[in-house]
Amino acid sequence: MEFLQQITFDAFLSQLLVGLSRAMILFIVSAGLSFILGVLRVPNVAHGSLYMIGAFAAYSITNAFGSNPAGFWVALVVAPLIVALVGLVFERVLLSHLYQREHLMLILFTFATMLILNDLVKMVWGAEYRSVNAPAVLAGSVDVFGVSVPRYNAFLLVIGPLVALGMWLFTAKTKIGKIARAAAVDREMVGVLGINVSWIFAIAFMIGCVLAGLGGALVAPTLSLTLGMDHTIIIEAFLIVTIGGLGNIWGALIGALLFGVTQSLGLLVLPQFAVVFPYAAVVIVLLLRPTGLLKSVW
Amino acid sequence: MRRTLFVLIAALVVSVMLIGCAAQPTAAPAPTVAPQAARAIKVGIVDTYSGPPAAYGNDALNGFKLALAEINKEGVLGAKIEFVTRDDKFAPDTGLSMAKELVLQEKVDILAGTVNSAASLAISAYALENKVPFIVWTAKSDKVTGEKGHRYAFMTSENAVMAGFAGAQALAKKPYTKFWIAGEDYEYGHSIADATWNSLKKIKPEVQLMGQTWWKTGEPDLVPYLTQVSSAKPDMVIFATGGSGMTNVLKVAKSTGFSDKIPMWIHTAIDYGVLKPLGANGPEGVFGTMDYFFYYPDTPANKAFVKAYQDAYNNAYPSFASFHAYTTAKLIAAAYKKAGALDKEKFIDAMEGLQIDTPVGQVEMRACDHQLVLPIFFGVTKKEAQNEFLTATDIIAVAGKDVMPACADIQKLRGK
Amino acid sequence: MFTDIIETRWLVVALGVLASLLGAPFIAPEFYTYVLTLIFVTAILAMSLNLVLGYGGIYQFHHAAFYGVGAYAAALGITKMGMPVWLAFILAPLIAAFAGLVIGWFCIRLTRLYFGMLQISLGSLIWVIVLRWSAFTSGDDGIHGIPLPAPLETINGAYFLNLAIALGCLVAMYFVIRSPFGATLQAIRDNAARCEAVGINVRNHQLAAIVIAAFFGGIAGVMFVVLERSVFPGMLFWSFSLDVFVMCLLGGWFTFAGPMVGAALVILLRTFASRYTEYWTLLLGVILILLIFFLPEGIMGFVSARFKPREPDGGAA
Repeated sequence: MEFLQQITFDAFLSQLLVGLSRAMILFIVSAGLSFILGVLRVPNVAHGSLYMIGAFAAYSITNAFGSNPAGFWVALVVAPLIVALVGLVFERVLLSHLYQREHLMLILFTFATMLILNDLVKMVWGAEYRSVNAPAVLAGSVDVFGVSVPRYNAFLLVIGPLVALGMWLFTAKTKIGKIARAAAVDREMVGVLGINVSWIFAIAFMIGCVLAGLGGALVAPTLSLTLGMDHTIIIEAFLIVTIGGLGNIWGALIGALLFGVTQSLGLLVLPQFAVVFPYAAVVIVLLLRPTGLLKSVW
Repeated sequence: MRRTLFVLIAALVVSVMLIGCAAQPTAAPAPTVAPQAARAIKVGIVDTYSGPPAAYGNDALNGFKLALAEINKEGVLGAKIEFVTRDDKFAPDTGLSMAKELVLQEKVDILAGTVNSAASLAISAYALENKVPFIVWTAKSDKVTGEKGHRYAFMTSENAVMAGFAGAQALAKKPYTKFWIAGEDYEYGHSIADATWNSLKKIKPEVQLMGQTWWKTGEPDLVPYLTQVSSAKPDMVIFATGGSGMTNVLKVAKSTGFSDKIPMWIHTAIDYGVLKPLGANGPEGVFGTMDYFFYYPDTPANKAFVKAYQDAYNNAYPSFASFHAYTTAKLIAAAYKKAGALDKEKFIDAMEGLQIDTPVGQVEMRACDHQLVLPIFFGVTKKEAQNEFLTATDIIAVAGKDVMPACADIQKLRGK
Repeated sequence: MFTDIIETRWLVVALGVLASLLGAPFIAPEFYTYVLTLIFVTAILAMSLNLVLGYGGIYQFHHAAFYGVGAYAAALGITKMGMPVWLAFILAPLIAAFAGLVIGWFCIRLTRLYFGMLQISLGSLIWVIVLRWSAFTSGDDGIHGIPLPAPLETINGAYFLNLAIALGCLVAMYFVIRSPFGATLQAIRDNAARCEAVGINVRNHQLAAIVIAAFFGGIAGVMFVVLERSVFPGMLFWSFSLDVFVMCLLGGWFTFAGPMVGAALVILLRTFASRYTEYWTLLLGVILILLIFFLPEGIMGFVSARFKPREPDGGAA
């Protein structure tokens, strides 16, 4: 345990902050997945591909702006909308006909979509690695409680709660949000009330897509964009959604925090086994609470 | 009804058996080869054209095609060199399947390719069994020509051990003693880290290793890891990563201010393919090693290669993968010329010790382990005003012979 | 007498197929023999998954873990522990079955997606061990050139051994499904609550199904070793499980032969379509979507619906 002796309070705090900021991206992506799971009951395996499209779209947008830092901010808004558009077309043309099918069929269907979207991304953007640069305002690091944290991560720490707040306002305060929540619990009942459930579903799916796209656009400056990036995120998002309680976006928040924080703090204790932490966290949570931490709508 | 059925089945079985027996004697005809090739030489390429490392596969293919265009103008043994490609999708089992198809179905004379180390090793084992020469041109596993090497396996890329030796030689001259190793947790990462560290320790015994950090391949966010390393305050960090992980490390090193605080060395950090995606925002002052640049060495041979490549491919610059595949094609042509016949065994004999001129000068296919001996360049990243991306400066060439493990060590490794 | 348990029509088809399979290596070029063998391996893997997925209605999301355990157990037994080949081949599926017992025991208390995700996590822990324990498992390099007895090292040798194993597995799996145990399993799939009410121990039956499926999955792993004489950590990565899963649904997961057909189709696509286009996965995606819309029961589900079975088959929807 030589590593334990090396852990100072500063190291602990900076790992914690960085872990929290990573959790924010995981939360944004998983919240989208969880929302779709909750309202539409669709385990959307293609969610990772939508995230990837968001990231690549952000690349194209920032690139179009050249060295103008506004490009990044435009990308943060436009990339999720592009993903939402892709999602809308996909939902109306294909997915909306399949809501009555078994979950396994839906998994197969969204898996097929993932295969197609991946190849489409390759056709549009090619196979090379891409990189997005954060604007100068977000480069370098900043002091938080006396430890230095990369500015971009600090920015994520601000964005994450904002998105959570937005989701709360949407589901609790807006009419569409309330209907969506009701539809999650009993879609027949909502239909009986004369509400067009079909369009509620389309909107709910688009919201999930916006979150996937936003996650992609936000993650873009922190890594190089590659064709395999959907694979990494989708399994993590599914694990997070599961430990949080399927369809519960607050569960996704807790799951994401658990993931991000255990992984980055785990690094301090047992760096060689950092790979194991997410899986082990899921195993422990599910053995203690077989349907996730929070109440599931399933 | 049932009787006719059984008659039918019986007839079917008997006829199948008869055909089978008739076909058996001719099932495996020994391939006879004319002394002078009346047919084309066929190279089967298994490489990654989809998935994350597809860029390497495409670059290599371009380099290979460029060389063939030059070679086929005059031909080899009175014939042309042709090729077929198969996509392994970066999956070793698919790669192995594809290699089998190329050998059994396409009857290729030589196998080449692969970005994926595990695929290289799997295909190498198959090549040995079937006595087909196999040339690895992008993967960097030292096992291909080291521990798992054999008569039929060749390697034209620089391997992890060579890169580690080259890095260690240059690092030993720097005034650092407290080191940290950080990298991607896979075979390449570990073998380059081990090679560098063991060699550095030998050259400069006072160095000490403060700690190590490893993350899984494809880890999306490296900030937590770099934060951890940074808070330990080592003199220098040896990074052991490859592929898209490379660009990730450099990006995070820059955005977190890590590269300004702590000196770092990574093999291939100064590669154009790694620095290009970062554009003008790459980190300056990062030490790296590489075996090919389109701008260095500034010799007529390299300039001519770069020009031909740019003319052929929309002004794109050749990457190290393009260079390796180009060199491989030239080696194949030279070896067949030397062998004088389209024969696999003669080809291998001709390859051993073969020397050819390449854009980086003369290289040699070492006879004892079939590893191409080529120089490795040590340099540091810098933003030059005229470029939109970072390049390497203060380049020191480390001669190929100085970074190679001794033949005796290779024999010992293989004997084990 | 066979007609009591299997329809004459299917018996004819099966015998015809068997006859052509026995003759195939003498006629077909070596490469096609190889592809056929690969199809046998993958078919047994997909069918073993379908025992729990299609007949048990269990969300077995990480079946490849058992395939990988079987393959690695055989490979390591031969190369690292110096076991005789036949012993390693017999032990490997048992070890896979044991892994099935352990993982199943943990998972069985969970339902549906939760079950699946827990299984992915537990299976991934095995994957991490294989990846991290380089000294023993060779990490992500995999193990290659595993020595086997000389006759098995030829493609024809591997073909006939795998054909024999595959046939044995098919017959065994068929009897499992047709046994009282199989009938109970399907009853649990269709209505677990009712089964519970009549005193059936649902969990124990499901756990037994998982163990049996893991056993056959392990056999598929051994077959892979026979054919390729290589093993890779990718064999027990979660994304490969998804591929196998797709094969079952593609071929028709309510039919006995469906997963076989699905496996064959995926292998053939991978082998032949990838020659002409680097976008063959897009093609697979389109095929899957067309299938979901027009043949929701999978290929074999469609075929068996056209040729109506004489008796309502327990597995047919």
